[in-house]
Amino acid sequence: MPDLEEQLSALGAAVEWPPTPHLLPFHGEVPSESQQRGPNLLPTVWGGGAQRRRGLPLAHNRWALAAAAVFLIAALLLAYTPTRNAIAGWINLHTTIQRVEHPPTPSPLPSGSLGSQLGLGTPTTLKDAQAQLSWKITVPSSLGAPDAIYLQMPPVGPSGGEVTLVYASRSDIKVSGQTGVSVLVTEARGKVDESFFFKVLGPDAHLDNVTVNGHPGFWLSGKPHDFAFQDASGDFRMETLRLATNTLVFDNNGTIVRIEGDMTKEQALQIATSLG
Amino acid sequence: MEGRPADDSVLIARAVRGDSAAYEEIVQRYQQVAFRTAYVVTGSAPDAEDAAQEAFVKAFRALDRFRPDAQFRPWLLRIVANEARNRVRSSGRRQHLELRLAEGFRPADAAPSAEAVALATDERRRLLAMVNALSGDDRTVIACRYFLELSSEETAAALNVPEGTVKSRLSRALARLRPQFQEAANA
Repeated sequence: MPDLEEQLSALGAAVEWPPTPHLLPFHGEVPSESQQRGPNLLPTVWGGGAQRRRGLPLAHNRWALAAAAVFLIAALLLAYTPTRNAIAGWINLHTTIQRVEHPPTPSPLPSGSLGSQLGLGTPTTLKDAQAQLSWKITVPSSLGAPDAIYLQMPPVGPSGGEVTLVYASRSDIKVSGQTGVSVLVTEARGKVDESFFFKVLGPDAHLDNVTVNGHPGFWLSGKPHDFAFQDASGDFRMETLRLATNTLVFDNNGTIVRIEGDMTKEQALQIATSLG
Repeated sequence: MEGRPADDSVLIARAVRGDSAAYEEIVQRYQQVAFRTAYVVTGSAPDAEDAAQEAFVKAFRALDRFRPDAQFRPWLLRIVANEARNRVRSSGRRQHLELRLAEGFRPADAAPSAEAVALATDERRRLLAMVNALSGDDRTVIACRYFLELSSEETAAALNVPEGTVKSRLSRALARLRPQFQEAANA
């Protein structure tokens, strides 16, 4: 009897893939937008892609047309404020959803450092994380110092970055048998879009409106699954709640704070009010 | 050593310093796996091309934040897959990924008789049909691991899930395939 996995590996060599496009571009001028962050120069002007398929004849013409189109769209957006959203909708600006799934690992207990299996980003320190962010990280004093800190910056993380504080055992809060984590506190700049948010919670979740230090928030109990918010660039971002358990979400002066853990609403609110 | 390809970390360091040739080399090195990963996610070659292209641009812009001790390929594939998923969402539909056997494929492990080649080819075609019939999640994880030969870490990055989830998904996908595979083998 042939082995299934061996046959699948052998099959890989027989699969027909579409021809890999030549992503390497021709040489030319550097788009100025690329200068804002990162290395000093884009190595090349990026050709190919949709533009090539649309049959534009020359490289420079493609860029000239692309630049003109971008300029025109930008001008329309700036000039007609009342229809900005409509125009943005037509061209699909500000409506990008990045679905990021981080379900807990099903293995018994994770190896490596706390939270390393949860896809939270790069392990870091509070000081280093703060140095990379333009907004202030808040730490709940009631939980003490976090046991691990992760940072996820764009393009993988949301615009403005996302920091997650990871807590191992804390009194009166159950440790997740699957992750070794008792509480996750995740912070990112943005706002909660309620209409969208309600749709992605999942059928086993229950939602209560709450107020935290005067800010609107939501208490998600049961088995909430997905969570959506609008990041600092206005893009919708959908993330799977890592611990798939009770979660408090609230807007802390423009920072969306999520507190996940197997805890009561009162415990979560107490943690939230101790954020400083 | 002359003629030896430079390590990713060396190329990245050079690219961050503004060496355009270094990043071109990185793109050349990874464009195939990036494009195919995007194709597995989108099921569409044009969308995959756009996603891969955009991912290389975004990766370049974020290169100065890339940790020197990290692996570049999983990081890149995570960006590629994010871009690919965005395109699926933007278009409002995901094209069904239908993998096909390459025309003129000749199994290397088959005996050189025409009959043996035909038999081996037919077996592979049947197995591919079984893979195509799997659910999207199952098909994607099989394609990443066996057809693209991504590691667990890379597959986790491409699918944006923890490695443990990759393992459990793969195990479930294989469990779904196995009965059909055995039935076909016994026929």
